[in-house]
Amino acid sequence: MPYHEFDCSKCIPERKKHAVVKGPEDDLTKALPLGYLNTIPGSISERGCAYCGAKHVIGTPMKDVIHISHGPTGCTYDTWQTKRYISDNGNFQLKRTFATDVKEKHIVFGAEKLLKQNIIEAFKAFPDIRRMTIYQTCATALIGDDIDAIAQEVMDEMPDVDIFVCNSPGFGGPSQSGGHHKINIAWINQKVGNVEPEITSDYVINYVGEYNIQGDQEVMLDYFKRMGIQVLSSFTGNGSYDDLRAMHRAHLNVLECARSAEYICNELRVRYGIPRLDIDGFGFEPLSSSLMKIAKFFGIEERAQKIIDEETARWKPELEWYKERLKGKKICLWPGGSKLWHWANVIHEEMGLDVVSVYTKFGHQGDMEKGIARCEVGALAIDDPNELEGLEAMYKLKPDIILTGKRPGEVAKKIRVPYLNAHAYHNGPYKGYEGWVRFARDIYNAIYSPIHRLSYLDISKDEIPEDGGFMTQRMYSDVNLPEEVTKSDSMREYTGKYNIIDDLHKKEYPEFNKKQ
Amino acid sequence: MPDINEKVAQLENFIMKKCLWQFHSRAWDRKRQNENILGMAAKLLCGEEVDTSKPEDKCYWVDASYLADSYREKFDWLSTMSDDEIRELMLALKARIDFVTVDGSLNAELTDPRY
Ligand code: SF4
Repeated sequence: MPYHEFDCSKCIPERKKHAVVKGPEDDLTKALPLGYLNTIPGSISERGCAYCGAKHVIGTPMKDVIHISHGPTGCTYDTWQTKRYISDNGNFQLKRTFATDVKEKHIVFGAEKLLKQNIIEAFKAFPDIRRMTIYQTCATALIGDDIDAIAQEVMDEMPDVDIFVCNSPGFGGPSQSGGHHKINIAWINQKVGNVEPEITSDYVINYVGEYNIQGDQEVMLDYFKRMGIQVLSSFTGNGSYDDLRAMHRAHLNVLECARSAEYICNELRVRYGIPRLDIDGFGFEPLSSSLMKIAKFFGIEERAQKIIDEETARWKPELEWYKERLKGKKICLWPGGSKLWHWANVIHEEMGLDVVSVYTKFGHQGDMEKGIARCEVGALAIDDPNELEGLEAMYKLKPDIILTGKRPGEVAKKIRVPYLNAHAYHNGPYKGYEGWVRFARDIYNAIYSPIHRLSYLDISKDEIPEDGGFMTQRMYSDVNLPEEVTKSDSMREYTGKYNIIDDLHKKEYPEFNKKQ
Repeated sequence: MPDINEKVAQLENFIMKKCLWQFHSRAWDRKRQNENILGMAAKLLCGEEVDTSKPEDKCYWVDASYLADSYREKFDWLSTMSDDEIRELMLALKARIDFVTVDGSLNAELTDPRY
């Protein structure tokens, strides 16, 4: 097994089996790190807790819901500033965050009364919102508060409200992934099948494992609407609580992030016979083939082809502009879970970047199988890295950019490696054809940032050049490019708008007559 | 023209780089996916009919037809092979994918009895 031992982790020998280098002769039966295990003592992991995985990844993107943490306020910190799962209803779910504010006295005497009072207060404060999710935290799980009973009491007293309870305290799994699993299963057990939807199309899907980061879901929704497909529910980005109770009526589950949401698709397949189709919404070719697969399922291939042709013609020249300038740059794909495999191959093929490392904080071995299968030979694959390993990898691999979350991203900045936010994005959306160009644009801007270049100079010891003027990105990126590229008429920089989501809200779609 | 091992390697590489269906979460899922999708792809490459009347089969067919179309487009040598040779090749490919994703897999979660 081509395990990679970090110098900094020699004192934690168990870490060795969590990193491998993909060698030229290696397949997945030879090169696969351990994964989804408890963090090894001594290793400062970058993971989140199981409560966070349930609430802040999957629960809270639901848009028409009061989301309450039953616990200390600290648990519910993630909100507008750290999360960017927007919605088309004014971002209620991001602007408002609720916690029962459990204190010492509640730990001693119980917090159920406090919970009930909070639920009622919240519903009174927001009379237009009649749906709620409640999340257990470590403290309230340990004192044994019966959240289900309190929620039922309130629903009995207030018949117009509906409440979902998620029992996934922070310690309920090795990482946030434990929470993804728990909330998937809790939702299908408690809520799916409770609402009968109005079916308006012959072609009905659930769009699953999509969190509408900076509008990703809305971009994809646009394609589905142009194809005349009814998206019964989105699990859960920009999703509506009651729509998600009707998931059992879809004809097909279209799954993006299998890491966080394959469980509900698997259960919907077993319990309701709805097939699961895994897709990639990132990158021109994967997205085109994904749209075509969905269209084929329904026999509407020409509708998908029209979108593919129009979008490719509009955006391909812009993608090519960036590809010419990104070719051969080294990139570490260090996201949380699924993006390492969504991006590993297509970012190389369509942007020309060389993926020198993939890592996952909370992914399972299945995610590493997909990631390692898709990346090129020589890549270093790391499971649940600690901060020192991340640093060591960056010093050794010398990437031109890393794609990761805020915390490791700040570490990268300190050693002057540019980073893009892989979870919340910089200037997304990144899904869709235009989104993929925006992603390329953000990577380009990060790698060739003139401001970033200034950080390479240490004013305490380096000689500061005084003869050069201010350099632009273009001066850095084009310096070695041939004229046929720099003066090309067929390629151009990104020409889209700053905000591409608002226009989608105003768009009108063709009517497709329903046959059945 | 590449030998059968080289052909299987090229077909496998395409699946590994472009597809996701082979990596469902449990061993039984993976065997089911491999069997149905590769079985259908073999039929499509041989010009045979496939039954897509059930939604489940339709979904396998969607991935199988993407695979068959891509194979035809990318691997010229396929057009020089007889149907029997293609069937044999696809059986060898299925054995290889079963090995990489299930029987030889190092993924410890595959045998978890529940989802
Ligand atoms: S680990 Fe427990 S206490 Fe900490 S944020 Fe998660 S739920 Fe709250």
